[in-house]
Amino acid sequence: MREEDTQYFARIEDRLDEAFDLARAAKSTGYDPKTDVEIPVAKDMADRVENILGIDGVAERVRELEGEMSREEAALELVTDFVDGNVGDYDSREGKVEGAVRTAVALLTEGVVAAPIEGIDRVEILENDDGTEFVNVYYAGPIRSAGGTAQALSVLVADYARSLLGIDEYKARTDEVERYVEEINLYDKETGLQYSPKDKETRFIAENMPIMLDGEATGDEEVSGFRDLERVDTNSARGGMCLVMAEGIALKAPKIQRYTRQLDEVEWPWLQDLIDGTIGKDDDTDEGSDEGADDESATESEAGVEDDTEAESGGDADADGPDGSVRVDPATKFLRDLIAGRPVFGHPSAPGGFRLRYGRARNHGFATAGVHPATMHIVDDFIATGTQIKTERPGKAGGVVPVDSIDGPLVRLANGDVRRIDDPEEAKELQNGVEKIIDLGEYLVNFGEFVENNHPLAPASYVFEWWIQDFEETDANVQALRDDPTIDLEDPTVETALSWATAFDAPLHPKFTYLWHDISVAEFDALTDAVADGELVAAEVDGGTSAPLEADNEPEHGEEGTLVLERTPAIRETLEHLLVEHRQTDETLRVPIWRPLARTLGLSDDRERTWSMEDLSIRAREWDDGDNAIEAVNEVAPFTVRERAPTRIGNRMGRPEKSERRDLSPAVHTLFPIGEAGGSQRNVGDAARHRGESGRRGEISVRIGQRKCPDCGAFGFKAKCSNCGGHTEPHYECDDCGSVVEPDESGRVYCDRCEWEVESATWQEIDLNAEFRDALERVGEREASFDILKGVKGLTSANKTPEPIEKGILRAKHDVSSFKDGTVRYDMTDLPVTAVRPEELDVTADHFRELGYETDIDGELLRFDDQLVELKVQDIVLSTGAAEHMMQTAHFVDDLLDQFYGVERFYEIEDRDDLIGELVFGMAPHTSAAVVGRVVGFTTAAVGYAHPYFHAAKRRNCDGDEDCVMLLMDGLLNFSKEYLPDKRGGQMDAPLVMSSRIDPSEIDDEAHNMDIVRQYPKEFYEATLRMEDPDDWEDEVTIAEEYLGTDREYTGFDHTHDTTDIAAGPDLSAYKTLGSMMDKMDAQLFLARKLRAVDETDVAERVIEYHFLPDLIGNLRAFSRQETRCLDCGEKYRRMPLTGECRECGGRVNLTVHQGSVNKYMDTAIQVAEEFDCRDYTKQRLEVLETKLESIFENDKNKQSGIADFM
Amino acid sequence: MPLETPARIVRALVSRGYNAEREAVTLIAGSDDPGNTLARVVETVPDDALRITADHVREVLASAPAADPSGTASQSAAASDPSVSGAVSGDSTTHAGQNTPSEAKGSPTGRNTDQSVRSLDIANDMTGQSTGTGEYDDFVKVFRDRYAKLSKMLRGRVNHRPTKALSNMSGGEDAELIGLVDDVRSTKSGHWIIDLEDTTGTFPCLVMKDKGIASYVDDLLLDECIAVEGTLSGDGGILFVDSMHFPDVPRSYRPNTADRHVQAALISDVHVGSQEFMADAWNRFAEWLHTEEAEHIEYLLIAGDMVEGVGIYPNQDEELDVIDIYDQYEVFSEHLKSVPGDIDIVMIPGNHDAVRLAEPQPGFDDELRDIMSVHDAQITSNPSMVTLEGVKILMYHGVSLDEVIAELPSEKASYDEPHKAMYQLLKKRHVAPQFGGHTRLAPEELDYLVMEDVPDIFHTGHVHKLGWGKYHNVLAVNSGCWQAQTDFQKSVNIDPDSGYAPIVDLDTLNMTVRKFS
Repeated sequence: MREEDTQYFARIEDRLDEAFDLARAAKSTGYDPKTDVEIPVAKDMADRVENILGIDGVAERVRELEGEMSREEAALELVTDFVDGNVGDYDSREGKVEGAVRTAVALLTEGVVAAPIEGIDRVEILENDDGTEFVNVYYAGPIRSAGGTAQALSVLVADYARSLLGIDEYKARTDEVERYVEEINLYDKETGLQYSPKDKETRFIAENMPIMLDGEATGDEEVSGFRDLERVDTNSARGGMCLVMAEGIALKAPKIQRYTRQLDEVEWPWLQDLIDGTIGKDDDTDEGSDEGADDESATESEAGVEDDTEAESGGDADADGPDGSVRVDPATKFLRDLIAGRPVFGHPSAPGGFRLRYGRARNHGFATAGVHPATMHIVDDFIATGTQIKTERPGKAGGVVPVDSIDGPLVRLANGDVRRIDDPEEAKELQNGVEKIIDLGEYLVNFGEFVENNHPLAPASYVFEWWIQDFEETDANVQALRDDPTIDLEDPTVETALSWATAFDAPLHPKFTYLWHDISVAEFDALTDAVADGELVAAEVDGGTSAPLEADNEPEHGEEGTLVLERTPAIRETLEHLLVEHRQTDETLRVPIWRPLARTLGLSDDRERTWSMEDLSIRAREWDDGDNAIEAVNEVAPFTVRERAPTRIGNRMGRPEKSERRDLSPAVHTLFPIGEAGGSQRNVGDAARHRGESGRRGEISVRIGQRKCPDCGAFGFKAKCSNCGGHTEPHYECDDCGSVVEPDESGRVYCDRCEWEVESATWQEIDLNAEFRDALERVGEREASFDILKGVKGLTSANKTPEPIEKGILRAKHDVSSFKDGTVRYDMTDLPVTAVRPEELDVTADHFRELGYETDIDGELLRFDDQLVELKVQDIVLSTGAAEHMMQTAHFVDDLLDQFYGVERFYEIEDRDDLIGELVFGMAPHTSAAVVGRVVGFTTAAVGYAHPYFHAAKRRNCDGDEDCVMLLMDGLLNFSKEYLPDKRGGQMDAPLVMSSRIDPSEIDDEAHNMDIVRQYPKEFYEATLRMEDPDDWEDEVTIAEEYLGTDREYTGFDHTHDTTDIAAGPDLSAYKTLGSMMDKMDAQLFLARKLRAVDETDVAERVIEYHFLPDLIGNLRAFSRQETRCLDCGEKYRRMPLTGECRECGGRVNLTVHQGSVNKYMDTAIQVAEEFDCRDYTKQRLEVLETKLESIFENDKNKQSGIADFM
Repeated sequence: MPLETPARIVRALVSRGYNAEREAVTLIAGSDDPGNTLARVVETVPDDALRITADHVREVLASAPAADPSGTASQSAAASDPSVSGAVSGDSTTHAGQNTPSEAKGSPTGRNTDQSVRSLDIANDMTGQSTGTGEYDDFVKVFRDRYAKLSKMLRGRVNHRPTKALSNMSGGEDAELIGLVDDVRSTKSGHWIIDLEDTTGTFPCLVMKDKGIASYVDDLLLDECIAVEGTLSGDGGILFVDSMHFPDVPRSYRPNTADRHVQAALISDVHVGSQEFMADAWNRFAEWLHTEEAEHIEYLLIAGDMVEGVGIYPNQDEELDVIDIYDQYEVFSEHLKSVPGDIDIVMIPGNHDAVRLAEPQPGFDDELRDIMSVHDAQITSNPSMVTLEGVKILMYHGVSLDEVIAELPSEKASYDEPHKAMYQLLKKRHVAPQFGGHTRLAPEELDYLVMEDVPDIFHTGHVHKLGWGKYHNVLAVNSGCWQAQTDFQKSVNIDPDSGYAPIVDLDTLNMTVRKFS
């Protein structure tokens, strides 16, 4: 590790130690369930694994093995240790298998996610029909967070342990096999699988699997065929099992095979058949084998299946080779499940959609998409920084980042101007005048994205980065041109560009390369005539009318004048499709920059036509069946012209960006139970004044944990004994026999006599009024210092341990609320950034120097606010909202330290800048490990920008995922495992352990696929035209993986594209600023009409099909089988009570689903179907549905009558 | 579109605005080039004709330019085919039935069409009587009506004490109670607690696991009505149940029968419009009805799902043969025409039909009735009680069977023996007791789903399985379907019984099943 890195981590750890010391002092006062900080620091992955599992000795053994072998191999090696009893303290064979399986999953998920503890319920040994024994692994839903490979390997590990223990294989009964088949289909339908195995695949796996896969029911829907099986104790889908089988075994078969081959004890020869797809011909869908195979590869590649994508389009490319340009096949999957209000930006590979450009901007990579900020505004502000888009390729989804060093959109304005917009401010001004969005501009995707998704390289746009390398290969002295201040290589004048192309034999500069591949040869011919026949007029003649468009381009055309063509629909469209800027009047098309166009059309300097269609070769005329003029262009133009934008990428809006405080619903200030006494608001103040059944003010009866003071023997519910001040312990007394039980080593509390688990929770009468007043007094606050203090109805933790009310009082005072584990959280969409300017983070170079930053990315000393600096791995940028919330939290924490624990304050924050350098926890959903981060600045975008490694350490990528930050001291003081819900998934999302420093080798390896170079080589661009395998280019285009384990692993993240401001574009997506769903949908359809790349009828169909109809049908179904609820006391009834009124309180009972919520979309849906000319099928479905609604909600004998009835 | 099947020819003609005689269709189908023949027939028929007759077709075939002699030969051969000759006779009646009223309804098969001996009466039809507007009170009303009707059946057996009165009684007393099942749960020690509800409140009833009646608990569905007898616990808080009663059909029930030998065909789930609709089987069935063997069949009852419908499940359009819902009914109507016109037909809607899904389902709206006006078929709501010459037939489509089969142990109800699930409904005297699950309820003033009268025959469909049997002398019939196995059914392991027609002798309630697939 480099010296500066050591210093960096030392700084973070010093601050961490400081916080720990103070937190320990506070905790030792004994007010909390435990007297010490409950989040252990894990130095490395081995530590985390041990901490999460709670199995001693694992860390040490993992560290030993890590040096010698891969993690997967280590997981298998550990099986032997478990079986031999060297690791873990298990006597039973079940325990040994279970320990090995959990450890394997923990190891493969870097000890971050909750899958090993929550996703595997237990392991059992059961009996086969022939009397032999087999192993049954019982999975639960959270196994999802482990990912396919770890899921699959968990089975392999179980099998390995099984064979070492000499247990037989599982022999599935026929009905069990068929049950797997039905169940996986059911789960796929209900919840959806990333990969849906075919019936024969499932059947094949089930028949051969040496371990029985079983699990908890995760859904309500039940199988209808193979029910009530003896060895399957539920009729519902077992989600965990389905995931392991489909996304684990079926999808990752090649990966598992690698490991089975290494093990002598384990043989899974059937994997080969699974991989080859040569599973015995049985029943279903075996159509013609060729056709079937094609279908299969098409659907699989659409699904983005990692291992199969190569099949995608390589074959087609070869086949089309001689007669047309290489293209990727359109993929439609991203359009599925379109939602009302979230617009489509481009249909699959449709012209006018985003144009693929290769490169990585500094705020880019790791499942993100670079879009020009002007485009964000032009699409009616629907895209903001951090908005998720579902995309056609290379991955499935991405978070949008603003990149202004790529092309912006080309639009036609109401005044007839067709122009490109590269300035976000201009885009904002013109937004309302846009008549048609002809082209969305470029879409930046980094090379690593193709590696990560194993997607063949798609043909690259011809762009400056490529052209300059072409140019450098000519005789031109490019270095001299670079040094010439009068020349801008990236943005040359017409004359210069044309001279470079002709004099040096370089392809025409991309700036003047139009999209010839989007017009046909016939259109090309027609345009040649039109341009030849055009008339030149001086630009001045126009006076003011066309000034904006032409003035913009003043320097180049100056003396030449504007070319005026006769306006015909065909020529107009051709110009638009070529992306030639021009102005349209009723009679004419005026092209200010026309010379590159004319020259490319093969016209002479005097615009004389020099060729006719017969002169073109057959090849050129029939290229792509005559639909692509690029070959014709190259035959007539005096220079080479490349395909400007061969790959278009369709996409639609996914989730909007997020930057919001995380409040439980309803918000909770204190995890203190008050039952129904606080009303629906759970108002502690009200509850304290409430007169309960006893008639005494504030006396409530709640289920709460009983604790006993070891010092004085007093009972109570508080952690600190109210009698003597000692620290109390949970007290377990058996309800039946009254004996007092102690927890065993695994934490279970079991009464041997009554054979059941004992809980410490009991119903207790609490004088809430006194408790509340005491708490107020202790922290020196009055009820007036907050609006409302909200508690909870009841506690869900095992011991029902309440929080001290004082914490809630101070939270309420500072308007922060508590999550289920006692921490205060703020959610933000994750985005990566590898280099920043202090200026854009609203901080100064001084701040950065204080944080230990010394130089900018070029090694220059850091002196100015606008210097570009490489971000350190654990540094994060907070959104404005997050910063405010962190400040409130800091005030709360300081008050807590001072007024409650009676120790010194920690933060003393006065303004936002005081947050700089402070530590936070970053934590993702479904994980159980927090990562320490350091605040270095702020952004107006509603996202959390951080180093990609920081996100990867939390096991997030940036495809629109969001996670939370917590203030360090808040986590240390207020988190307790005692508060966690005692149910499946309860341990997820809780910081059971923290990583104080990021080891790049121990993070989600997706981040290692990010490329970190300044330039992609020319050969790479050329390779894209052959759609080569991205893996072959890893050596030429360095990806981060290269530096793992070296001194350079924390630095050197270069980028190919800069961007002015990482928060450019709208601050919030229109999706969030528009009010009702109807407004959103209107805006969505309005935009669909404007976008050339979007088929608005299809959008309307999809909105109806995937949103309105399911909503209508679902609500109608819900209506006719709904629950009811008492409006007065909130009591719920499965069915309407015969009494009519509430049986509990006599109050008014009402429906939970009303007519209004059932048919709220009916009229709109019908109207949309009509207006957008949807299919008759769709219209009829709506018609039939409307009849059904009327039939339920209208009285036949009292129909609304028309005026005719009275005539 | 290839025109090899009569169904397709009918559809093609319908799409051009024509109805057709059966024989005309047969003739077109039998011609060398049905497509061409059809086109020429359509060209040559008089402008005012709405119905293509056999004569029209013969004219065209005769005038065939350069008619192939062998083709003509096969034509005549086809015409002499016995099944076709049956069709000829049937057709003439169809024709008559279309245009002229009863006096022309004479049938060469010897079917008795004397309306004075036939009688057909429909009760419980709520079509056009729906008063519910989806308010909370409507729901309360319907459940109160259910309780009123079902508890009346139990009053003779127990002496009901309102739950409110029960809670004021002292411990140890004997008590009897009638209520809707509000909740069933098991205790830690394996006993059962059933909350019974009447119009005054609820009361918990405990069934000990070792009592004989504990086995009844497995069969309970929520919201059915039962009566219990037992003893109040010491503190009066719970009733220890000793015996349990269901509204049920009396064991000694003596069903009504017709005074003469006459038969009814009970079918359902035709699913016209589905790619899996078995047109050939249907045609064979219709042809058979024209034969002497079927001369005693004077009634045809169809228990729902005339057509496959639209939007029943996602991407259904990809599996539809006829995509337009109105065309589906047109084609269904054409298929109905091939049934002898002197058979009386009664139809109720099912869950695939274009009416509301929530039960009771009203009969079709006027537009669909117009399309299905053939044979003056009677259309009534689901469920309805149809009385044929004194025999009471409860027609119900059968959506609740899914739920009964899912909730009850497989020996009590399974897809392989759907009639056993029907026994359960008879025992509960309600066609769809459980609220909140699969079955959807549309609130009306009355609970049309209660079996107020004991039916003599209980006729359902929906599950596409054939099964019949007698429960306390009531004949329960689940007719199969006319749709071959769909991909969905395959995926959930349902092997449908397709192309069967159960035939019941109304004078004896004996049943035979004819297979046409």
